[in-house]
Amino acid sequence: MRKTLSALIAHVAIMLAVIITLGTLGIIASNIQSAGAEKFTGELERNVTLRILENDTAKEQGYLAELLAAFNEKYKEYGITAVDANMDQYTDLEKGGPYGYGPDVLYQANDAVMKYTEGKHILPLPIEQLECFNYLGENAWKAYTSTFGEQQYVFGVPVNIQQPLLYYREDLLPQNWQTDWDDDKNGLPDMVENWTDLFRFSKQIRQESGGSKYGYMKSLNDGYFASGYFFSYGGYVFGGEDGKDTSDVGFSKGQSYKGAKIIRQLASCMNLECTEDTITKNAYSRLASGTYFATMTTPDVYTLFLKEMVLAGYTEEYARENLKVIPVPKLPVSGDLEDESQGMTEMTVMGGVNGYAVSSYTKAPNAALAFVNFATSYEMINRRCELLGISPARSDVASAKGGLNETINENLDKGVIYVMPSVRALAQVWTPLQTFCAILADDVLNQKNLYVTDEAFKNGLANVDKQIYDAIHTLAG
Amino acid sequence: MNKEKTDGLKARGKFVGFFRSLPEKAKKKFSGTKEILTQGNGKVCASMCIMGLGQLLYKQWAKGIIFLVLQLAFIAYFVLTGATDLFGFFTLGTREGNAWYGVEGDNSVVMLIMGIFAILMIVFYVAIYISNVKDVYKTQCACDTSKNPELFKSEVAGLLDKSFYKTALALPVIGVCVFSILPIVFMILIAFTNYGGDTIPPALVDWVGFQNFAKILTLGQFAPTFFKIFGWNMIWAVLSTAINYFAGLGLALLLNKACVKGKAFWRAFPILAYAIPGFITLLGFKFMFSYGGPINYYIQNAGNPAVDFLGINAQWTARLIGLAVNAWISIPSTMLLATGILSNINTDLYEAARVDGASAWKQFIKITLPYMLFATTPVLISQFIGNFNNFGIFYFLRGGLYTEGYFLASDTDLLINWLYNMSIDNNYYSIGAAISLIIFIITSVISLAVYVFSPSYKQEETFR
Repeated sequence: MRKTLSALIAHVAIMLAVIITLGTLGIIASNIQSAGAEKFTGELERNVTLRILENDTAKEQGYLAELLAAFNEKYKEYGITAVDANMDQYTDLEKGGPYGYGPDVLYQANDAVMKYTEGKHILPLPIEQLECFNYLGENAWKAYTSTFGEQQYVFGVPVNIQQPLLYYREDLLPQNWQTDWDDDKNGLPDMVENWTDLFRFSKQIRQESGGSKYGYMKSLNDGYFASGYFFSYGGYVFGGEDGKDTSDVGFSKGQSYKGAKIIRQLASCMNLECTEDTITKNAYSRLASGTYFATMTTPDVYTLFLKEMVLAGYTEEYARENLKVIPVPKLPVSGDLEDESQGMTEMTVMGGVNGYAVSSYTKAPNAALAFVNFATSYEMINRRCELLGISPARSDVASAKGGLNETINENLDKGVIYVMPSVRALAQVWTPLQTFCAILADDVLNQKNLYVTDEAFKNGLANVDKQIYDAIHTLAG
Repeated sequence: MNKEKTDGLKARGKFVGFFRSLPEKAKKKFSGTKEILTQGNGKVCASMCIMGLGQLLYKQWAKGIIFLVLQLAFIAYFVLTGATDLFGFFTLGTREGNAWYGVEGDNSVVMLIMGIFAILMIVFYVAIYISNVKDVYKTQCACDTSKNPELFKSEVAGLLDKSFYKTALALPVIGVCVFSILPIVFMILIAFTNYGGDTIPPALVDWVGFQNFAKILTLGQFAPTFFKIFGWNMIWAVLSTAINYFAGLGLALLLNKACVKGKAFWRAFPILAYAIPGFITLLGFKFMFSYGGPINYYIQNAGNPAVDFLGINAQWTARLIGLAVNAWISIPSTMLLATGILSNINTDLYEAARVDGASAWKQFIKITLPYMLFATTPVLISQFIGNFNNFGIFYFLRGGLYTEGYFLASDTDLLINWLYNMSIDNNYYSIGAAISLIIFIITSVISLAVYVFSPSYKQEETFR
């Protein structure tokens, strides 16, 4: 037995000796790494192909093809070719990028882009080198700014501002609106200028139609649109200087309970569909059929409303003439849709800034930066506006276009647009918020009347904050 | 003593007997090892020291070379990558990458997988080593008893004949190790790390021991929600499994009746429901039961107020709709299964029962149901587990709601939905893995208990 045991021990010893000695050498060899280097040297890489991730609308409307053709023509002497990355517009760089599957340049919303900064999946950009640098406002850049250590970095170049807008049918205005519904005589109906008149008009429509027609209709449980009512009275998503301090959830802060009261009041002129997403789904056809007078949504769905109006039997010309898109109305300072005595205040809405970013995994960072510079030039942004109907972040293009474009651009500068915080924890905001908004609507429509006093609204919002905080922090750390 | 009691005792006896026999089996196994260690000659020792050497000394060239090559291959694997992988398994990486400067760091998740693979390779090597020692000892025994040791050629021939099961199973076993065991072990091990939240590669993941389990158990908010959800989850799993099973069986029996005309036509309807992807059906039902959907449209047209079928207040209505929709999706599969099994029942049994004057209900209780339960208990258990972990039903029907008194969950959420809200939605993969492990333990205990006391196990020989 001693002999066999010795042999067994010898085997183990031999194996361990060989493996430990040679294996350690392997481990040491694999630990040797390069120190890395600054990527934006200013020298364009030659004969490279850039994969560009754009949104579906840009592809469908032919903008991407134009952009690529123009860029490739300009940089053909360097052998740089930009191609469609052919990936889903919401492709997650974090998942594919490190393994070589992501695009070189990506166009996404600021909250999507900025979540990549946590793992350094996108490169900080030398934005001063870009032609658009001086034409983009502070708040637009802020959406793409993040701090690492003591240093602030900018990771994206803003292109398009997204904010909720009011869509309404001009032909559904009362005949006498110019005399009875235009107190300030500015040629704009009061019911699309402030929420108090829109509320009054909505109630009137319901009453006159016997409940078959509605004025303003919106799924009130949609947190993205509903959050504006809270922001307008001092609420916020996350605190801190950059709005990213997730330990400070602020939907209940300031006098945000007034926003909650307004949501509850608005529900009273709607029906139970406003507690779920039915209205969001049906808004296009019901605005087209005249069942709804107005709704709130983003600028990019304008064509869907037009299409539905054409399907409803209107000519496209008539539809374009009567479908109006304007910034959202003003809110009463009092927080009561039946009390204008304290005057009106601008409504702050949640918005976003879409823009370009460069993947950290690109083999041609300088060529990618050249592409971003080209795509954000005056000519290309102007063309993008023409083809896609975006609201440009570039102030010079917005000024040249005028109208709504200019207003939206100014709104971002003024801070009327609350840019979605660029933090991963934002995902935890929606469920508590939409649940509370649905409860508010349900409270009035099912006559539960649990939310009547200011205290009740405040407690409800404090609970929302707590739920969001818990969702983010309970399992963290 | 009645038959049920006898069967129950028999099942218990088998179950207890299995565990009681384990020490005996281990002892038997060890005695074999002891025999080799005490009786092995110099050539056995040679093979114990260097694999294949003993076989070579016995002039079994092919086998000796194969074992030797396997040992060298294992050494080569370990020198080239295995040692690094095994080392990485314990450290989970030491260098954080920085994509800004093109600095490639350690990917903890990949290191964990490769580490598990290295351990599997060690287990594989140990298994080969043991077979190498057993083989040379077998040869020694043959030589000692003046028999000719088995030739390599005949051993290979045996792998295609007497030991063909080994050949046939080799590839599936390797496949199971790589594609089943490795991911399961990976998932289990994730529960002992801090993977998730902000700790996602390129950030380095660390081992945290039982911290995730401690977190789940010690967080005050969890306990009340856990027990409420677990209670509903059990009710849901039992009810939905029972409804689907008996309704499917009932439908199959109905469509098996000789008097039913156009059976194929009628059977096509449930199959259609089965063929449509589940989430589309669920979204369809969600619309039908919404305030703006057709059901509320007719209710309101009839002069009644709209019903909150799936909204905030719809706890039991939503639960019942969930059961009904799940039945709609699942009954067809049970019906198809039952139709197949029913066609195998010996019709003489029914004939005899009718002669004895048994009613249709008695025939169902005494013949059809026992036979069905015997044949389908494993399927029933898998359906139970499927329903217990049915993520889609309430995610699609009533997702995006947190109800009063529940921590980050609604009153229709099942444990799996809650797990999703808390972990995957938040990227807390390690906590998700820990909760999955708890769910796994619960479902496996229930499944095992149900199986051991089921006719499939108790009356194994009844229908043979």
